Amino acid sequence: MAVAPAVAYRLPRLARKRTRQALLVWCFLAPSLAIFLLYRIIPLLWNVALSFSDWSPLKTMRWAGLDQYEEMLHDDVFWQSLWNTLLFIASAPVGIVIALGLALLVSSEIRGRDVYRTIIFISYPLMTVAVAIIWRWLFDERVGLINYVARSLDLVDRPIQFLNSFVWALPSVIVANIWQMLGFYMIILLTGLQNIPPNLYEAAAIDGANAFRRFRRITLPLLKPSLFLCVVIGMLNSFTSFDLVYVMTGGGPGRATELLVTYIYKLGFSQTRFDYAAAVTIVFFVLLVAIAWVANRLSGGNAGAVEID
Amino acid sequence: MKRRTVLQAALAGAAAVAVPHASRAQTPRKLSYLTWNIADQEQLFKEEFADFRSANPGVEIEWLDKKGPDLPAFYQTQLVAGTAPDVVDLQGAIWVEYAANGALLDLTPYLQKEPEVAKLFNPDYLASWQYKGKNYMLPFYIAKTLLYYNKSLFKEAGLSAPPQSFDELLNYAQKMAKGEKTGFLTLNFDWLYWPLFKMNGVELLTPDMKKAAFNTPQMTAILERLAKATDSGAINKISWTGRWVEPNGAFAGNTVGMLHAHSSSYFFVKGQGSWINDSTLGVAQVPGYWATPTNHGFGISKTTKNPDLAWAFLKHVTGTKWATRFSQSRKLLTGNIAADRAGLEYLRKDDPLGAQVLQTQLEHTDKFTGNWPLPFDAQLKDAFYPEIQNAVLGRKSAQAALTDAERSVNRVLSRNS
Repeated sequence: MAVAPAVAYRLPRLARKRTRQALLVWCFLAPSLAIFLLYRIIPLLWNVALSFSDWSPLKTMRWAGLDQYEEMLHDDVFWQSLWNTLLFIASAPVGIVIALGLALLVSSEIRGRDVYRTIIFISYPLMTVAVAIIWRWLFDERVGLINYVARSLDLVDRPIQFLNSFVWALPSVIVANIWQMLGFYMIILLTGLQNIPPNLYEAAAIDGANAFRRFRRITLPLLKPSLFLCVVIGMLNSFTSFDLVYVMTGGGPGRATELLVTYIYKLGFSQTRFDYAAAVTIVFFVLLVAIAWVANRLSGGNAGAVEID
Repeated sequence: MKRRTVLQAALAGAAAVAVPHASRAQTPRKLSYLTWNIADQEQLFKEEFADFRSANPGVEIEWLDKKGPDLPAFYQTQLVAGTAPDVVDLQGAIWVEYAANGALLDLTPYLQKEPEVAKLFNPDYLASWQYKGKNYMLPFYIAKTLLYYNKSLFKEAGLSAPPQSFDELLNYAQKMAKGEKTGFLTLNFDWLYWPLFKMNGVELLTPDMKKAAFNTPQMTAILERLAKATDSGAINKISWTGRWVEPNGAFAGNTVGMLHAHSSSYFFVKGQGSWINDSTLGVAQVPGYWATPTNHGFGISKTTKNPDLAWAFLKHVTGTKWATRFSQSRKLLTGNIAADRAGLEYLRKDDPLGAQVLQTQLEHTDKFTGNWPLPFDAQLKDAFYPEIQNAVLGRKSAQAALTDAERSVNRVLSRNS
């Protein structure tokens, strides 16, 4: 069938317009893509190559096959760091539960709630290094506030060496991490709470549902997306808490607070074992992807999606 | 007209770009100089550089200082990029790795050609920069471990003099441990605790440095005693867990009887402990006179384009004139014999106790330990020390910890053989 001349004229013009638009889009995307390629994709590929090699900045590269991965199987420090990292990740829900309680409190009709919200949120924008220094001082054996209070109240005879104890060091760092993230979790959950229509609560109250049932049947289900967002962000943050651990304990005592991320740093920059560090990084990356995937699936498979009307 | 304007602008632009290049090309020599955490000496360095430039006209010196943990990472990346600084200040055993992998220039031919240079330095300190018989560094500043003791706590416990044996050290520590008071504290990084084992005849490695040699009944007994003393409070637990600030700070708190640390600790402790003066603080060698050095030295990167100029600069900064100024300015010893003599003389008037501390650094310099010239020292430390921590803090039995440490150390040795 022959195309009408007007339509035949419009088609190439439309195609040209689309090409121009696509070109424009690519022009805008190009700087970001270039940075992404340069600082994410290429280093990742280089890291994969490195993990199968024998290399340090002072040696030429040599193919090592699976040697680095094999070594990992016998490396006690790797397993200890992995275990500590998993414990660190598992602590994220504790912070979310506390934040939920706080969000419920500051969303209720109490006087000065905006002040409380600010106070709770203020920990989040603080630099992690500053948070680590604050908590290191709080936990200090000689001049720390926590030991001072505990001794003043006769709760302990001798000061507790929080950061120098195999038992207390990891929980102490986890407490600092939870404290820093609390503000972030609270704001996310507060936004979620404010999006729940009040008439649902009113209807439930008329039907005779008590506060606990209203929380269980209305608040929790409708807060699910916010909770999952907190879980995902919390887990990813726990994975990369390098600065907090490095400043508070340096991974010690022994390996009590060593995380995969601090171990990778030490392998690379203290021991000059960039090849083995690369292999541990690959395992770390795979774990990170797996956890993000599971979290995404649990949240319905569209976490991070932007809905466009 | 328009075309001419454009042409003129282009020529002016090209000239602007070309002139600095031309002037750079006229600069015959440039030296880059990397130091480690000593930015406070900027004024002195400026004078040193000016003095060097007056003797070597046309030389440009680019000085860069990096904080503690930043320097190794920075230097490594510069090595990979082929832009390593000409002269570098390195501390501890990290230089061995660079020397073994060909990153540092062998200074032996220079020292052989100018034998008067080597004679400037304390031979034991100079020898501590040797790897496989070759000298890679010149001393910048020196320190080794010693025993500080709290005379007031000694007196309270009925003790009059520092311990002369390991048994005495533990007994004295036990006598001073009461309530919050503990008897003994040691620094633990960079093998600084090793004299405690060496004084008992323990060796870390076999003489050929191919196998672990420490898993012996003697070492087990020592570890058990250290664990017991730590548990009872005779040894402060911070000994095994703290880094630098914590143990030094604890000793400055006037509740610890003895501190096993390097001379650098003195000024920190004195700054924090208002109780410290020459009638309350004593200094001594540890039993057996063993000490672990923690020196800073200067080396030349092999990638330097001006090795002779870098060598001249090295001689300049470590020579008697500027080493003396540095010793007095920083209140430390440099390894340069004449500079240290002058520095000590100066300090005896200014801070007699500080002079006593520094004097110990020049005694028994033939009894260095914990400074094995191995290019994988950091790996060895990481394989060994966590197990020692496990034993002394009661997390594992001494025997189990030593068995695990032996396995880890041997693995490091075989991997690097």
